[in-house]
Amino acid sequence: MGTENPGRPSFPATPFAAAPPTMTPFSNSGSVVGSEASNLRPMRPTVPPNTSPPMTAGPAGSGESPAFRPAPPTRFNDPSLPTPPSSYGPPAAGTFNRFPTPPFGSMPPGPPARAPVVGQPPFQPPPSQVSPPLSFRPQGQIPGVPMGSPPPGVNTPQIDSSFPASRPNFQPSFPPTVSGYPAAGASSQLPLPGYVKQSNAPFQAPQGPPVQSPFQSPPVGYAPSAPTPSPHFLSQQGGLAQAPPVASPYGLHSSTMPPMGAMQGLIEDFSSLSIGSVPGSIDPGVDSKSLPRPLEGDVEPNSLPEGYSLNCNPRYLRLTTNAIPNSQSLVSRWHLPLGAVVCPLAQAPEGEEVSVLNFVSSGIIRCRRCRTYVNPFVTFTDSGRKWRCNICALLNDVPGDYFAHLDATGRRVDLDQRPELTKGSVEFVAPTEYMVRPPMPPLYFFLIDVSISSVRSGMIEVVAKTIKSCLDDLPGFPRTQIGFITYDSTVHFYNMKSSLTQPQMMVVSDLDDIFIPLPDDLLVNLSESRTVVEAFLDSLPTMFQDNLNMESAFGPALKAAFMVMSQLGGKLLIFQNTMPSLGVGRLKLRGDDPRAYGTDKEYSLRVPEDPFYKQMAADFTKFQIGVNVYAFSDKYSDLASIGTLAKYTGGQLYYYPSFQAANHSEKLSHELTRDLTRETAWEAVMRIRCGKGIRFTSYHGNFMLRSTDLVALPAVDCDKAYAMQLSLEETLLTNQTVYFQVALLYTASCGERRIRVHTAAAPVVSDLGEMYRQADTGAIVSMLSRLAIEKTMSSKLEDVRSNVHLRIVKALREYRNLYAVQHRLGGRLIYPESLKFLPLYGLALCKSTPLRGGYSDVPLDERCAAGFTMMALPVKNLLKLLYPSLVQLDDYLLKPSASADEFRKVMKRLPLTADSLDSRGLYVYDDGLQIVLWFGRMLSPDIAMNLLGPDAAAELSRVTLVERETEMSRRLMGLLKKLRESDPSYHQLCNLVRQGEQPREGFMVLTKLVEDQTGGTNGYVDWLIQLHRQVQQNA
Amino acid sequence: MVKLTMIARVTDGLPLAEGLDDGREVKDVELYKQQVKALFKNLANRPNEPSRMSVETGPYVFHYIIEGRVCYLTMCDRAYPKKLAFQYLEDLKNEFERVNGPQIETAARPYAFIKFDTFIQRTKKLYQDTHTQRNIAKLNDELYEVHQIMTRNVQEVLGVGEKLDQVSEMSSRLTSESRIYADKARDLNRQALIRKWAPVAIVFGVVFLLFWVKTKIW
Repeated sequence: MGTENPGRPSFPATPFAAAPPTMTPFSNSGSVVGSEASNLRPMRPTVPPNTSPPMTAGPAGSGESPAFRPAPPTRFNDPSLPTPPSSYGPPAAGTFNRFPTPPFGSMPPGPPARAPVVGQPPFQPPPSQVSPPLSFRPQGQIPGVPMGSPPPGVNTPQIDSSFPASRPNFQPSFPPTVSGYPAAGASSQLPLPGYVKQSNAPFQAPQGPPVQSPFQSPPVGYAPSAPTPSPHFLSQQGGLAQAPPVASPYGLHSSTMPPMGAMQGLIEDFSSLSIGSVPGSIDPGVDSKSLPRPLEGDVEPNSLPEGYSLNCNPRYLRLTTNAIPNSQSLVSRWHLPLGAVVCPLAQAPEGEEVSVLNFVSSGIIRCRRCRTYVNPFVTFTDSGRKWRCNICALLNDVPGDYFAHLDATGRRVDLDQRPELTKGSVEFVAPTEYMVRPPMPPLYFFLIDVSISSVRSGMIEVVAKTIKSCLDDLPGFPRTQIGFITYDSTVHFYNMKSSLTQPQMMVVSDLDDIFIPLPDDLLVNLSESRTVVEAFLDSLPTMFQDNLNMESAFGPALKAAFMVMSQLGGKLLIFQNTMPSLGVGRLKLRGDDPRAYGTDKEYSLRVPEDPFYKQMAADFTKFQIGVNVYAFSDKYSDLASIGTLAKYTGGQLYYYPSFQAANHSEKLSHELTRDLTRETAWEAVMRIRCGKGIRFTSYHGNFMLRSTDLVALPAVDCDKAYAMQLSLEETLLTNQTVYFQVALLYTASCGERRIRVHTAAAPVVSDLGEMYRQADTGAIVSMLSRLAIEKTMSSKLEDVRSNVHLRIVKALREYRNLYAVQHRLGGRLIYPESLKFLPLYGLALCKSTPLRGGYSDVPLDERCAAGFTMMALPVKNLLKLLYPSLVQLDDYLLKPSASADEFRKVMKRLPLTADSLDSRGLYVYDDGLQIVLWFGRMLSPDIAMNLLGPDAAAELSRVTLVERETEMSRRLMGLLKKLRESDPSYHQLCNLVRQGEQPREGFMVLTKLVEDQTGGTNGYVDWLIQLHRQVQQNA
Repeated sequence: MVKLTMIARVTDGLPLAEGLDDGREVKDVELYKQQVKALFKNLANRPNEPSRMSVETGPYVFHYIIEGRVCYLTMCDRAYPKKLAFQYLEDLKNEFERVNGPQIETAARPYAFIKFDTFIQRTKKLYQDTHTQRNIAKLNDELYEVHQIMTRNVQEVLGVGEKLDQVSEMSSRLTSESRIYADKARDLNRQALIRKWAPVAIVFGVVFLLFWVKTKIW
């Protein structure tokens, strides 16, 4: 990094000594803004800090600014601008102080930063450059950052030593707080506002191009200013000034740009890292501290462009890039996946639930040709008698019941009473045409292994207790149906007729031709047979206490369950503890063979061996049965085969290696409880429609395709996401916008059949740069990991990893080809702001459980289980799993009177490297599936005593964390509780590890520190260098 | 034995409830469900149907009663005593009206009272076996008379609507065609008139012309 601009270091020198005065004004005003701003939505694109200084300097200095401050910052994305701190000495000064803080969410990291546009919101967008009379409106107007596109552009990647603080990552998340800088931030953009106005008027207007007033005050024409900046930069920054020069010219010509991309198009924003010029040298010269890291977690691309505010929330649908390429050639140059990640039932925060509409009497309004549901993007014409489908452009008649007049602007007069025309997500009550049978009742069927190992591990007891405690909370009272089968070498059925007092057990030992001993009453209505069910659950653990049977007739039991359930469908929960050894579907110990690894046959260990399971899964799906598998075995049990049951029925695989009730009961019971009580959608099918010219070609996740584009999901809930890839059918797309509509038809637990519809729009672009700017790292990573996991089913892990690597290289190379040459970026690694975390996530993906290492690194079952899990995880959880949070706790625990809430504010995630771990500290590591508490070797004994009591000195693997009578312990438990509540889909079991306690520390923490070099894998720095080298080599 | 149970609103044929896992052992259960739906639609169109009826279909019989604008229908084996079937429906009706009475008219979505299926399920079991004391007692109960309930065939019932349609279509075709015929006849009549008298008129015209010319010249 050192290579960067020489200019920077100097900047403290403040060429603009004069400037300082200005500072104050800004800051004052800044504070004001800040407060206001805080309400704003975070996403604002940050504005690059003033590059404009040159111009402003004079005025600014005069101090008139406070009033002016409001200056609407223009949004200039110019990346280059921001950095030139040197030029700005003065303004910078203020900012700099803050730099150090960036890591905290609250502080605007902004240094490099562009003051987030947001900050400015209060001001009206000055139509013209002059801002003085601005009124302070509440932020409202600005919302739309222009185009939503992340104009992140500032070159945040500051590897610069001088700006250590400035981590790029923050920008998106920055709270508008940046107020302090407002002036600065905007400056770079200045040149634009004036121009922009004219050219892109439509866009800008709403957003109020933030021009900075201070600068403006001198109503100088912009034109003059624009040019100035660039020269400036160039001179100073040499390599750095990437965009500046470009920027101004663009700005001038902006009018020619297509409307959509106009703003962004003006300036290229990208980030760059300077990487040691001598590849492979021992000290690469990269300051690892300043590499981009997603320490803020996943940031949803909520900065939707103006005009797309009707889109459904990104928690339901995320595109890998919010700009759809208009031609095949563009697609082929975009080396990342192109598609969408859909989580149709994502949990909505309170108050944002999807509204349910009843159209049963009039019929649901849909397009005649493509069957699209009516949505906010349809247009009404012919004075309201017709509507045009936004997806296929067909003119449809408006049914009489639905007719409403149009007002002068062509909007329906009843628009505000029509949620389906104003919201991106709605639910319709389905009329009879959408039912092939009456809505099914929620149905839970349990298939429990009762062989010796499950008795010994205590699994049966935990399961029975948990189910019993959930009986009241099962959804769908009073229709809920329930049933049980247990099995070892025989299959046991239970008659739970409501008139009995005790369940009757029936044993079937004919495994070759399994049959059901009783036509009814194996599956009963819970509310009627409640006492029998409870009696059964009470006696279940003792019934098999002395069972010495080691066999498992899993296949026949599965068939029996199928026969019982096939009439109604529902959810089948399998508790499996031993390898299936009898009857159909018996499996062999094939995974223990290390010789298969590294050969071409390696993948076959990860695919089901016996077609029986896939066949069963297909049958289950057909009869609306979703399967969830809970696997507990301590030995190899071929989850690759058994897991297919869950994979093709839209289910989930929970794996508890070496389950012991004493340690894992909490986790099992939490996860089982959630599985049983979360809102579930039954007998569902999902389809995603998209506009003319594009098509969804492949689907990735846990489900079965019923036809080419109909996803069958027997049981689906809020913790499942699905990904699909797009391809272009025509060589050139002519429309300006494409629309996507996800429709999920399902039966709610209350017995209502509903259709949930999410609609979103995305612009079509002809410019690759725009695609990069609008890229959504989260969705891309989710898609890449699904593709990678699928690929492990057909090739070697090594190949899969290099494939991921190659994809990232290709993408960056393409990006480099776009910009590198013209900006003479020589030895720098450049990447779009939107993808700044991609390399890190790529690295984390290669080190994730399904892809990591070879035979000895991860047990095969664990690898497969993690693969099934990752195929279903929503984006947010996946990113957390890939790049877990690591937080230091001791300071917090020692501080008196800090509450858990406060902690969340101060909580600062650390980079995942061993360097972050201080042997005097206590750290918590949380990846969404488990929590690890890491005790430093030199941690003050006080803390350890307080938390662990007398166990403090013992081997930590045998210690369980319980709440003790100390304030500190209570605080820690409160904190863990908070962490768990933030992600209820899994229970994070808390493990304790002491530094140096091998090998536990090794596999629990050290291998998870993805940025470190472990066991022959690359560290983050090496990974970047390697990426960089390859990007350049083939450029 | 009761095979299917369905409850629907007569006014618009909207299904309100249905027995759980109905038709398990019935082959072609979909066909029968289709017929039931057609039957409901029929009822909606013709409000004057008798309120109790048995309709034969294949090896089964539909029994239904209409009460308070709700139709309760069950499908049984032919051998199943009619009396029991109707008592079963009466039981359903009483409970359904008790539980859901006031909301029946306002129900806006299909299967709005699907929760009733548990009751159907339970009641069905009571009627499953015709040899239980309870059912034998019911059979012998003279109070409930089912003999006068009409039995028809499903083709007939479903066919009625069809035939009526045909007739009305034919008659309307007749009307329109007779109108066309009348027009045509009038037209022909006129033509015939013209054809008949035109030569005479021409002859007279020529004669008069000649006379006129003669008087003028001479």
